[in-house]
Amino acid sequence: MIELQQLTKVFPNGKGIFDVTLTVRQGEVFGFLGPNGAGKSTTIRHLLGFLKPTKGRASINGFDCWRESVRVQASVGYLPGEIAFPEGMTGMELLDLLAGMRRMNTTRHRDELIERLQLDVRLPIRKMSKGTKQKVGLVAALMHEPDVIILDEPTSGLDPLMQQTFIDLIREEKQKGKTIFLSSHIFPEIERTCDRVAIMKDGRLMAVNDIHELQSMQRKLFDVILAREEDVARLLASPLEIIRHAGRRVCIAVQGNYDAFIHELAQCKVQSLDIHAQSLEDIFMHYYDRRGDER
Amino acid sequence: MNGSLYKHMIKAQAKTIVSYSVGSAFYIALIAAIYPSLADSEAIKNYLQQLPDQLLKVFNITGMGNLLEFIAGEYYGLLFILIGSIYCITAANQLMARPIDRGSMAYLLATPNSRRTIAFTQALVLLTGLAAIVVSTTAAGFAADAWLVTDDALDRERFLEINVVGFLLFFAISGYSFFFSAMANDEKRALSLSGGGTVLFYSFDLIGKLTEKAEWLRYGSIFAAFEPGNIAQGQVEWLPVCLLLLAIGAIGYTAGIGFFAKRDLPL
Repeated sequence: MIELQQLTKVFPNGKGIFDVTLTVRQGEVFGFLGPNGAGKSTTIRHLLGFLKPTKGRASINGFDCWRESVRVQASVGYLPGEIAFPEGMTGMELLDLLAGMRRMNTTRHRDELIERLQLDVRLPIRKMSKGTKQKVGLVAALMHEPDVIILDEPTSGLDPLMQQTFIDLIREEKQKGKTIFLSSHIFPEIERTCDRVAIMKDGRLMAVNDIHELQSMQRKLFDVILAREEDVARLLASPLEIIRHAGRRVCIAVQGNYDAFIHELAQCKVQSLDIHAQSLEDIFMHYYDRRGDER
Repeated sequence: MNGSLYKHMIKAQAKTIVSYSVGSAFYIALIAAIYPSLADSEAIKNYLQQLPDQLLKVFNITGMGNLLEFIAGEYYGLLFILIGSIYCITAANQLMARPIDRGSMAYLLATPNSRRTIAFTQALVLLTGLAAIVVSTTAAGFAADAWLVTDDALDRERFLEINVVGFLLFFAISGYSFFFSAMANDEKRALSLSGGGTVLFYSFDLIGKLTEKAEWLRYGSIFAAFEPGNIAQGQVEWLPVCLLLLAIGAIGYTAGIGFFAKRDLPL
C-alpha cells in the first residue's frame, strides 16, 4: 500500500510538487499521468527515498519512505525513468550485482523473466539498444518478486510486441496481488492495466479517477466512409455530433453514446470505418481545462 | 559494507588500480636501479651543489648520500605525489560523483541497503585501491633494494615511514575528494573542486618553498605534511604529521558519508 499525505517538495527555483495526497490500495494498479515536468518523477523519487519531503510524507506498507527507506526498498521493485546503468558490465553482471546486493538466493523468477522478454543478457550494456536496456531494467525491477512495483515510463523504447508482453506481465503481477504504480503516456497501456489513474499538472494533483470513468470521458472520433450520398444527409440530421464531412466521408465524435452511434450507423451502408482515440492526457487536459473555464 | 557491491566495484576498478600500482612499482625500481651508476659520479654531485637551494627543496631533493635519499628525492618528491593524487581524485569521482550525475546510483540505492552502507562500501573500494598502490610501491622498493642495488642498503625503517606518511597524505586527499564527490550533483563540478583544491594546495607548498617570505603559505597546504627527503634524513617528527593527515582524511570521509546519507539525490 502506498500513501502520500500532503507530500510537498519545493526546489530552490520554486518548482516542485505541492500537497500531493493519494492512496494506492493493496493489489491495485495505479496509473500516473501528466505532461513532462508535471512532477511525476519527483513524486516517484520520494517513494524511493531519494528526496526528502519539504512537507508531508510518503509511506509504503506503513514504512516512511525517507526515514525507513531500507525497509521500504526490501519490498519494492523500481524501474527508473532514465536508463543509466553502471558502466562496463553485461546485462547478467548487473543483474548478478543487484541480486547480490538484495541477498537473493533464487534466480528462478529472474530466469523466467529473461526468457519471457527474450533478453540477451550476455551483451555488454553499452552495446544494447534502448529497448533492450529497458528490458534489463524491467528484469531488475521484478526479479525479486517485490510486493510493490514502481515503474517510471516502463514501455518507453519497447516495440509494440514487447509492449504487449509487458502488459501481460503487469496483469500477471496484478493477479498475484502485487501493488503497481506506473507512470505512462500510452493510453492502451493504462487502459488495459490500470484500475485508477491520477493526473498531475504543474506539480499539483489534478484528479484521481476510476479507469471506467475515464473511458466514459474519452471522446473517440470515427471516420466513416458511406456508400450512398443520401446517408450523409441522414447522419447530419441525426443527433450524432458531426465534426466535419466532405463528400461521402463523415467524421463523427462519440463520447459514451456508442449505442446511439451504432443504431444510426446501422441504417446506413458503411464502406469503411476508422477510429481515432484521444490520448489519455488530452482527455484529462481537455476535461479539466474546460471545467476550469466554467468556474 | 555490502560484499557484492565491494566485489563488483573492485573488479570494475581493477584495471585502473593495477596500472597505477604496476606503474608506480616499476618507476621506483627504475630509480633504484640507476642509483649505483650516479652515486659515485662527481659530476652529478657538483651539478647538484650548483643548483639553488630552493629548487632542490621544491623537488624534495635533500641529497644523494644514500639510496633512500635518492629515492625520496627522485621518486617520492614529485612523481609519487602526482600518481597518488590523480588516483584519489579520479577514483573518488568515478565511485560517487559519476553514478550520482549519470543516475546509475538509483539502481544501487533501490536495493535494501542504506545510503551509508553504499557510500561506506565505495569509500572502502577507494581506499583498497590506494593501499594497493602504496603497498606495491613499497614492495617494489624493498625488492629493488634486495636485487638491484647490492652495495648500498636501504634504511628500511625510514623507507617504511615515507610510505606510511605518503599513504596518509593520500588518505587525506582522497578524503576531501570523496566529500566533494558525495556532495556534488555534477561530475565535472566534483572533479574541479577536488582537482582544483589539490592543485591549489600543491602551489601553496611550491611557492612557500621557493620564496622565504611566502613560507607561511605552506601551513595552508596539505603537501607540507609530506617531506620525504627530510624523513629520509630522520629530521621529521612523523607521528604528529600522521595524526593530522589521518584526522583530515577521517573528517572528509565521515562528512562525505554523512552528507550523502541526508541529501536530496537527483536520480
